[in-house]
Amino acid sequence: MPVIPSAFSVRASLGPGFVLLLALLAGCTSLSSQSPTFNLRLYQQWELQPGDLIGGRAVLGSLGDISVDLNGGSAYAPFDGKAQLDQRRCVIFSSPQVPAYIFRLCGLASLRLGDRRQGEVLGSGSVLQFATLRKQANDTWAIVEPAKSILERTLQP
Amino acid sequence: MHRYHSRGASVKYMLAGGTVIAAFSLLAESQGSLPAFPGIGDNAAVCQEMVQAQAVLSREQLAKLLTLPERSPKAQVQQVVKTPYCRLSNLSVRAGVSAQREVYPLAFDPQTLLVVLYEGDEYAGYSFSFQR
Repeated sequence: MPVIPSAFSVRASLGPGFVLLLALLAGCTSLSSQSPTFNLRLYQQWELQPGDLIGGRAVLGSLGDISVDLNGGSAYAPFDGKAQLDQRRCVIFSSPQVPAYIFRLCGLASLRLGDRRQGEVLGSGSVLQFATLRKQANDTWAIVEPAKSILERTLQP
Repeated sequence: MHRYHSRGASVKYMLAGGTVIAAFSLLAESQGSLPAFPGIGDNAAVCQEMVQAQAVLSREQLAKLLTLPERSPKAQVQQVVKTPYCRLSNLSVRAGVSAQREVYPLAFDPQTLLVVLYEGDEYAGYSFSFQR
């Protein structure tokens, strides 16, 4: 008879802490699974990439990036999709609606990563470096010439 | 006694909540008969042209598709995946190139859609879209 209440009391005292622990764990996993780093392997073997240092200065854009004067304005999700950071801290935007392509946005601050609906803000900044990348057969991504319509969708929600 | 009472009340709340959610999902489903991708309201993401309402992709077809490299001829890919369920609107991602997108629900997981993208006679790649 006394065994059962004590078991209950142990469970009761563990309860809130255990729930909190679960919530914290769930929080951690949802944070890390929301936007893991996108390991971008470029098809083009260019020496300098955004984020590199040259002569003590930071490289902001590379060959293949379109530089856009955002003037503090925002860039928006061109489709429903996901915003992640790559290893150079640029935003990689991908969408299940657009297979075989990803979009790289460098130069943004106040980033909103994770699942984004079309037209939602991805971040803002003074100059946006925009690149369209097409998947290659060897799992690398080739920078290609972006269509104007994609840029328009990215600059105007 | 008190315990039973409170449990009964929580069940009632759960039922009420479930009913509301079910009603909303029914409402959402009745808004359009064509499958919409996450983010209903984006016209580009909704089937533009129905092709074959019964079309699904089997596990075997999917496994075969995954072995085909990007830039394979479109005909070779279509030999594997056959007739699509529907087509999305044409899209230009690369300057001067029009992309065609075809959609296949998975036979073993109909909530998941496979989207295949072609550019001209070339297969560019695929993605999975999860319907809510």
